[in-house]
Amino acid sequence: MNSLVFLLLRSAKNTLLELRRKPAKLLLWVLVIAGIGGIFILSLFTRQSTAGSLDLVWLKGLLFVFILIFVVTAIQKGLANGDVIFDMNDVNLLFVSPVSSRMILMYGIVRMAKMAFLAGFFILFQSNSLSVGFGVGFEGVLLVLLGFILAVGVLQIMSLLIYSLTNGRPRRKLMVRVLAVLAFLPLLAYTGLQLIKMDDLLLALESVLGSPLVDWTPVAGWASAGVLALIAGDMVKGVLFLGLLVLSGVALILYIALSNPDYYEDVLVATETAFERKRVLAEGQINPEASSTKKVKVAQTGIGGRGTSAIFYKHLRESFRANQLGLWGMSSIIMVLGAALFSWFMRDGEGGILVLLQILMWIQIGMIGTGRGLKELYMHYIYLIPEGSFQKIVWSNLEIVFKVLVESMAIFGIAGLIMGEPIGLILAANLVYTLFSFLLLGINYLFLRWTGADISAGLLIFIYTIAVIVIMLPGLIAAIVIGGMFQASGVLIGLVVLALWELLAALGCFALSKGVLHHSDMPVLKV
Amino acid sequence: MIEVQNMTKKYGKLVANDNLNLSVGKGQLAVLLGPNGAGKSTLIKAVCGLLRFQGVITINGHDNHTVEAKRILGYVPEFPVLYPMLTVSEHLEFIAKAYRLEAWEERAEVLLRRFELEDKKMKLGKELSKGMQQKVSVCCALLPQPQAVIMDEPLVGLDPHGIRELKAVIAKLRDSGCALIISTHMIESVEEDWDVTYIMVKGRIARVCRRTDLAIGQSLEDVYFNITEGKTGEATP
Repeated sequence: MNSLVFLLLRSAKNTLLELRRKPAKLLLWVLVIAGIGGIFILSLFTRQSTAGSLDLVWLKGLLFVFILIFVVTAIQKGLANGDVIFDMNDVNLLFVSPVSSRMILMYGIVRMAKMAFLAGFFILFQSNSLSVGFGVGFEGVLLVLLGFILAVGVLQIMSLLIYSLTNGRPRRKLMVRVLAVLAFLPLLAYTGLQLIKMDDLLLALESVLGSPLVDWTPVAGWASAGVLALIAGDMVKGVLFLGLLVLSGVALILYIALSNPDYYEDVLVATETAFERKRVLAEGQINPEASSTKKVKVAQTGIGGRGTSAIFYKHLRESFRANQLGLWGMSSIIMVLGAALFSWFMRDGEGGILVLLQILMWIQIGMIGTGRGLKELYMHYIYLIPEGSFQKIVWSNLEIVFKVLVESMAIFGIAGLIMGEPIGLILAANLVYTLFSFLLLGINYLFLRWTGADISAGLLIFIYTIAVIVIMLPGLIAAIVIGGMFQASGVLIGLVVLALWELLAALGCFALSKGVLHHSDMPVLKV
Repeated sequence: MIEVQNMTKKYGKLVANDNLNLSVGKGQLAVLLGPNGAGKSTLIKAVCGLLRFQGVITINGHDNHTVEAKRILGYVPEFPVLYPMLTVSEHLEFIAKAYRLEAWEERAEVLLRRFELEDKKMKLGKELSKGMQQKVSVCCALLPQPQAVIMDEPLVGLDPHGIRELKAVIAKLRDSGCALIISTHMIESVEEDWDVTYIMVKGRIARVCRRTDLAIGQSLEDVYFNITEGKTGEATP
């Protein structure tokens, strides 16, 4: 058997066999497969009508923007290190073996396709949203997935090629940047013109999305136009655009394979960088700043506080050094601006602030782990500081609570003003959001205390999300029931009830996780 | 000073440390030797209170999780992990503030000079090489003047000057009455100063060897290979 085919098959077989020894991972896969199966079966019985759904052109827009993010990332990666299509073991064992470098490239691309599939896996879970929003069936969801995988695959190869052509050549890098901008310039210009002409954002965007300019925009346009054409039943157009995507991928592969059989050097930097990043993570350095190449100016120095409060002052020093805005980085600005934009669209409707609150709370579930307090748990210092466990936890998380409080004041203040919400409601939403982050911290520590950090990351995230829903449920029910008793100020009272529940539940979680630093293993990030 | 009694650590079904007993007195240097996967780092992390375990571990009579035990314990981990956004000086300042140390500045200067870090004081953690990070890690562990010091592979990544200085520091700590546990694969690096060696194999202590137990002309390396390569089967304490 060909050595590369053997490697692919044996790796796949061993991955499956490994599941026997890792029941948590197996359970996760069973749940994922059951979920997809369930969605598929449900879609067979609930075939939707398109009446009342949003126009498919908006789905095209969403897909276009989504893939556009990957396009920008691929170009940036190409100009920096190239994309990662090999592992370090491939470099150490395959690259030095007497196997054709072209065959090894094909092997890398097959493995890369697997990664693209895994990256698009979540699309399958959007089945219900796509069905309700756009009247798209399960087969439509599969088409979206196909378009996404093809686009990501092409972009990974493109990234490799950009690196190969521009590595160490500043003029070529500049040329790639110029070309990248030029490729999108007609679309940008046309969008601007439409905006001026129609004086209505939604109408202008709808008109742009329906124009051939979007369809012919490289990769993002081809993929979105091809998928949407197939969903709409236009086979010719669908095959044309997706075929264009496949052909461009094949052309890029052929170009790399035929023009540059000695591409090993081009993929080495990206592979080594990715390997080093994983190694550093496994050794406990989970701060993204550690692997950042951004130049940092050391102006002010020194750390305030004494005892446990030194942890909080250290966090302030680290945050303000990493970022001029201190605790509030680019993510905070995006959230405030995003919320403002959302409010602008919702300004004529009712209940906009509640929808915004709900969306932000979902985001918060994932964002809470980005605080410096939880990251401290991966380093030994906090365990060894001769102070009480509870004080150490309080001071190490003060930074994120303060950050969320100010962030939420800005978000709900601006959004509330735009939507014309009463001040009481704005304050209540602010309170619910801030206390929710407090609760999430409590749940994190409670999990650490109960599991002793001896649990896989995937399963932890899964159970954690379920736990958040379960813990929030009584508060939500109480808020709806009590709020429902009052006519005029029902929403306000409901929010206050929810905030009280969050506070109580958070205090309960912290009380139950008492002594967490003494009763759990220092977690290690499994990569 | 450091007492480990009937200590067992399991990861699921895997027994990483199996009913270990270990004792290191004041002014003693205990060396942990053993092949990869023998359980040395697990034992060290448990002693430092970073892992849960069954059994009892005390530092100067205090449970190792208590504030009293932490106050007199210094730890140099296997992989030096620094705060990427703090300078070298700020690492020491943070330790001094968190441990509520008094008049620490001069000690910090001495440590930095000793490990040739004086000109790196304003460098950020992320800007340092692995060897430099290891030196900062040692300085952080020693700044609070601990009475018990645990080092996991402390010499890995250090340059010759760093190795010489750290060996001198270890000898000085031992002479000043500090209890030390050092895990290493470099047997020759501890040959001069060790008092007791625990040779670990598959999560157990396979042999406790005191310097006085050595026959004339026998080295620690001979004892190690006898145990790990199965030439003798001496009793476990």
